[in-house]
Amino acid sequence: MRLHIIAAAAAVAAISATAAYAAGPLSLVSEVKTEKRVAAADGTTRIALVKADKIVPGDRVVFVLTYRNTGTQPIANLVLANPVPANIAYRAANPGSAAPELSVDGKTFGPLSGLRVATAAGTSRAAVPDDVTTVRWRLASPVAAGAQGQLAFQAVIK
Amino acid sequence: MRRLLLSGTTAVATFGVGGAAYAQTTSAGTVISNQANATYTVNGTPASVQSNLSTFVVDRKVNVTVAADPNTNTIVNLGQSNAVMAFRVTNNTNGTQDMLLTTSQILGAGGTGTDNYDVGNVRIYVDSNTNGQWDAQDQLVTYLDEMLPDASALVFVVADVPNTTSANYASVSLNAQVAIGGATGTAGQALVATDLNLLNQNADQDIVFADADTDGLLGYDAARNGQARAYLQYEVGARTANLSITKTSAVVTDNVNLIAPKAIPGATVQYCLTIQNSSLLVPANGITLTDVIPTNTTYVPGSIRIGGLGTGGVCILGGFAANDDGSAVPLSPYGGSFNATTKTVTASIPTLLGSTSMAVSFQVTIN
Repeated sequence: MRLHIIAAAAAVAAISATAAYAAGPLSLVSEVKTEKRVAAADGTTRIALVKADKIVPGDRVVFVLTYRNTGTQPIANLVLANPVPANIAYRAANPGSAAPELSVDGKTFGPLSGLRVATAAGTSRAAVPDDVTTVRWRLASPVAAGAQGQLAFQAVIK
Repeated sequence: MRRLLLSGTTAVATFGVGGAAYAQTTSAGTVISNQANATYTVNGTPASVQSNLSTFVVDRKVNVTVAADPNTNTIVNLGQSNAVMAFRVTNNTNGTQDMLLTTSQILGAGGTGTDNYDVGNVRIYVDSNTNGQWDAQDQLVTYLDEMLPDASALVFVVADVPNTTSANYASVSLNAQVAIGGATGTAGQALVATDLNLLNQNADQDIVFADADTDGLLGYDAARNGQARAYLQYEVGARTANLSITKTSAVVTDNVNLIAPKAIPGATVQYCLTIQNSSLLVPANGITLTDVIPTNTTYVPGSIRIGGLGTGGVCILGGFAANDDGSAVPLSPYGGSFNATTKTVTASIPTLLGSTSMAVSFQVTIN
């Protein structure tokens, strides 16, 4: 049902990403950030999230998802899903962000402790962060008109 | 409603829960794209939206290691040719690279051990047939070609040890510098790290040096220089071999008694010199053995035999006949001569291996 709509939207996004996410009442912006240590004015070192420019295997990145209700009506039943890209290993929710539901197969979602992965031997084992293929957030309360929020998760480059 | 605003600067605590070291890393140049999607309802009407596609390029993480393999001194003898030491060079870069190889005999402050003489004719070979041994099939190289990520190669440093030195240790280091791969059969240019101060676009593939300092702060190698270095030593082994000589004589014939010949005038006597090298694994080189024949005896021309089997002072087998004038005998490494003036028998033995013995014999007649 909804899957068809998503597929159609994906094709549009590939051609004109900006137009695709600005059309509806919900704007959704994905960014990839990385940590950078910066010296603050008071002499301490703070960790800033900057645009991912210089990224090598083993580096840690933060995938940031910003949503915003640009319409006039509240948005309900909001479900935000982020398939984990290839060569990326999920690690954890970013501090300050709600913990996402995880999935190793794109169908079953839940906390990592409840997920299992089939092994070559025909049995199954407990899932580890490397197995996560999709990250999903379900917002319990509606997003009011003009409201926005940010969700983020941490990952490393394989 | 959610107000999970992520501030621009956030104190991120612990990253990498359950982090694993990836042996096979993402290749440099890989484009990683992320796109999120959302489904929602507005007044009960379902809708969905895709986010923008956020992409970045995985940069080249340059890392190389050189390790002594095995990390033991190569024991050599003075004058030894083709003394071999082995190093393992590993490409830990997330891309295919050439490795430029150089050797140095300067120990430097970061090197390990001592260095008090130099070897000559230093060459670098790669273990082409991967048998772990330096042999004729191995290729003489100045660089390693097209090393895949995580690939390693055994590299031999081969050198000649000088004939004369009173010192015992020669330190040689092997340096590997990461260079551009991609052209089979040609050495690429050494990589240069992308300037950290330059503004980088996401589309750029930057070069990031991530190698460690292999020889300490004062050594030649430095962290993040795209190079690695390891040191090994040629050690002159034992300088003395424990040689001993046993001399026996036996009457061969006296022209009277067929059995049990006696030492009477006219009898022929054979002297047997057994030279024993009792040092384990230490060969003795350039042995010259001299013996003046006793008075009242006459040397039997052409009776010198060298290289026979002998032990405990008894010559069991004769060995090679030597020419009395000292000229070389074909197929024999040994030399022998008799000086009629000084009445001296001389035998020269180029090499007597450790824990072996050899016999030299000659005959005289009693006047």
